[in-house]
Amino acid sequence: MDNNKLIIGIADMKMAQREGELITYALGSCVGVALYDPVIKLGALVHVMLPLNMETGRTSPLKYADTGIRETLRRMELQGAKRSRIVAKIAGGARMFDTPGCGSLGNIGQRNIESAHMTLKRENIRLLKEDVGGTVARTMLFDVATGVGRIRSYNRPEQIL
Amino acid sequence: MKNYNELNSMELDTLREIGSMGTGNAATALSGMIGRRVRIEMPEVRIMGYNEAIDWIGGPEIITAGVLARMEGEINGIILCIEQAAFVEQVLSCVLDRTFHSFDELEELDISALREVGNIMISAYTNAMSGLTSMKIRPSVPAFAVDMQGAIMAVPMAEFGGQSDYIMAIGTNFIFDDECTVPCRLLMSPDVRSLNFLLRKLGVLDG
Repeated sequence: MDNNKLIIGIADMKMAQREGELITYALGSCVGVALYDPVIKLGALVHVMLPLNMETGRTSPLKYADTGIRETLRRMELQGAKRSRIVAKIAGGARMFDTPGCGSLGNIGQRNIESAHMTLKRENIRLLKEDVGGTVARTMLFDVATGVGRIRSYNRPEQIL
Repeated sequence: MKNYNELNSMELDTLREIGSMGTGNAATALSGMIGRRVRIEMPEVRIMGYNEAIDWIGGPEIITAGVLARMEGEINGIILCIEQAAFVEQVLSCVLDRTFHSFDELEELDISALREVGNIMISAYTNAMSGLTSMKIRPSVPAFAVDMQGAIMAVPMAEFGGQSDYIMAIGTNFIFDDECTVPCRLLMSPDVRSLNFLLRKLGVLDG
């Protein structure tokens, strides 16, 4: 079973088909977006860090919610996924530090969630479930065989997504 | 404008110098606070990608405490002091004479001691930076959190993630009374503009 585990780092994306588990660790303000075509059992998980891609060089699209989701959809379609069947589950976007004097620091998580919502809506992808916001870090696991996600956190029982 | 991954060896050596001085200051301040002799090992200053930095610190899911402050003034950025379990154990035993069992059981008093030690560490580094460059740097009131270290480290990374895929990390070991070795890890992130300003001020910026 361990051979079927794919670990996704920050600003990274991996895909698996029919079997295997996609894992991304310790989402804080970052957001994990799992995209899934249930008919061909193709799943992808992308770990984005920032809401909007404003890079001029566009070297790392997977770092941003908007371009990360679009790039993942593009690669899924190349593998035979159909846009109309793809559904999404998202997790993360927490506020890790309570920082009264630290300006925009606390808002990145919230902005990541909003950008993921907006991008999914624009791309006509249905958001099935989410576990977002709050102040707790999340490890997101996604089973490609079933389309079921799990969320592991510190001091909080495991959630099914 | 030079990014973190474009620094040459002389520029990196200058950052190492700041790291060494800051670590020296931190050991002295810490020794004063906890009333024990604190020696340091030669600090390591590294520029790393996000995922590499998280591996370097011991992996994303380990629970740790973090103290975070913003740098304001002529240098802008963030400093994060990572207080792993071994470090917390020493601090609580020395400062409060308390035994550390787990992060779940930290009480208000423990947290304020850890926040204060983090604040001392952070100030030691900002003082080294402003001492060498004669620039004004004010650290903000520090914030404290306990959670998975990957998520805690992502905070300074995300703050400047639009500018750089790399982060500067400082690692050393504190040796308490010659018997107990405690790892100390810091992320120091001046924004890219401040980094260039800093290196120019120290006369080492190439181009």
